Amino acid sequence: MAEDIVISGSGLRKQFNENVIAVEDANFTIPRGSFISLVGPSGCGKSTLLRLISGLIEKSEGDLLVRSNEVVGPRSDIGMMFQKAVLLDWRTSIENVLLPDEIRGTIDTDAKKRAWDHLQLVGLKDFEFSFPRQLSGGMQQRVALARLLQTGADIMLLDEPFGALDEFTRERLNDELLRIVEGPDITTLFVTHNIQEAIYLADQVFVMTPRPGRIAAQIKIDLPTPRNIDMTTTPEFNNYVQQVRDVLSGHLDGQPL
Amino acid sequence: MSNDQEASISNIELNAQYTGSLGGAVIRHTLIFFVVMFIWEMANRTGFSNPLLLPRPTDIAASIWKIYVTQGNVWYHLWVTFQEAMLGCLIGSVIGIALAVAAVLSDSFRQFLKPYIIIVEATPRIALGPIFVTWFGFGMSSKVALAALVCFFAPFVNTITGLLGVQEESYELFRSLGATRRQVFWRLMIPTALPTMNAGLKLAVGSAFGGALVAEFISAQAGMGILMARYTMSLNMPSAFAGLLSITLYGFLLFRTMEVIDKRVLYWLDDDLMAKKSAKREIKYRQELGL
Repeated sequence: MAEDIVISGSGLRKQFNENVIAVEDANFTIPRGSFISLVGPSGCGKSTLLRLISGLIEKSEGDLLVRSNEVVGPRSDIGMMFQKAVLLDWRTSIENVLLPDEIRGTIDTDAKKRAWDHLQLVGLKDFEFSFPRQLSGGMQQRVALARLLQTGADIMLLDEPFGALDEFTRERLNDELLRIVEGPDITTLFVTHNIQEAIYLADQVFVMTPRPGRIAAQIKIDLPTPRNIDMTTTPEFNNYVQQVRDVLSGHLDGQPL
Repeated sequence: MSNDQEASISNIELNAQYTGSLGGAVIRHTLIFFVVMFIWEMANRTGFSNPLLLPRPTDIAASIWKIYVTQGNVWYHLWVTFQEAMLGCLIGSVIGIALAVAAVLSDSFRQFLKPYIIIVEATPRIALGPIFVTWFGFGMSSKVALAALVCFFAPFVNTITGLLGVQEESYELFRSLGATRRQVFWRLMIPTALPTMNAGLKLAVGSAFGGALVAEFISAQAGMGILMARYTMSLNMPSAFAGLLSITLYGFLLFRTMEVIDKRVLYWLDDDLMAKKSAKREIKYRQELGL
């Protein structure tokens, strides 16, 4: 067994009802510490694939292993983040970050200290005791990111986490996300429909196509790390963009969108 | 969340803002009050309207003095009606909220309940007054029962609306954190639904009073309803009007009280209370963390 494969799927399939095959024959391996982007148009099954891995929904067929164990439900080494921050309006930032500890019954002074540190890490100094309604959309997502870090999960599943934010905020948060998850420990799956963003962040891009949802290509991104925004104008980068586009257009030709 | 609130029947507040100063508004309304009172009084004194049916403001004022001070009989009746309304409201709301929670947690129970709810909704609730008096007697229980019936609906509907307003992603978050059903219910569903539920309770408190009064009109030994019925039957119109004003004032005070409680409970919807709360919690946390 390869030591550093944390997630693997083979022949993975998810069917919601007779007509909707959300994920069909997905085969992939995800090494520890890598950053994988899932990119594709809406309805291509990228969110479904993420939810299968998270254990929120059950697969229909095939194998799906996390750390060599079949996925049977949510697990504590997997954390999620969504397009909406999903904060509890009646709690301050730090209390929202502490939610995972509260649910697991592990809340103590130590947990509170970690929550404080995580808030500093995501750049929310002086907003530890603000309520969600007092924060901007970008800051709310920072709280959600701190809460994800608080879970202690080393597999992070991010479903278009900054998709609802403006371009500038999104770019900044992407860079901060890279800084936080970099290193050999944290494995990240990042769902997006933005091709540039997918390539910029990832070690590997899974290009997904709809009806039925398939992983049409797995493209390794050999750009130097750490990434910076200037790379997005290099020929290599544009080469990758073109590759992704080719895969998508090859599959989408003649398909009603 | 605010969308759900708007969709529910709770949004009856008049969101009018004073454009001028508050003092100006007070002076304006006081002036209007005295002008209306003066015309009313004069219309009576000049024989333009019948003082037997529409008593003079000065007579009403005298009656207020009488029933509250010299005779002092109104207090007892107010207390009886207050008890009936509040007890009825409590019973009706608890049943309404409990059924709503059950209906939200179980789809099959919701399907089962639906036709009965439609029947209850289609029945004018106060029409059951005479039946309730027959069933529960002339004492307080029939009034409590009618108040409870009148109060049932708003908390029921609003609790369902509020609980169904929890976003799918919130459930996913809680499930991904391994939350139990109980944790999902108390930490997510109830607080999310609370603003809508409270709006339903506010409506219930308002209608409770009406329910109790209607039952008293039908038949009672004590209460504001029977007091007013006696005054009108003996054509003691100034006292009847005094009683009516008492009820209005009482309803107003209750509503204000509910609003104050509402604001306190839902502190995260109010900017000032939020600021206070966050300052308080900051002190608490800084102490614990030694920052």
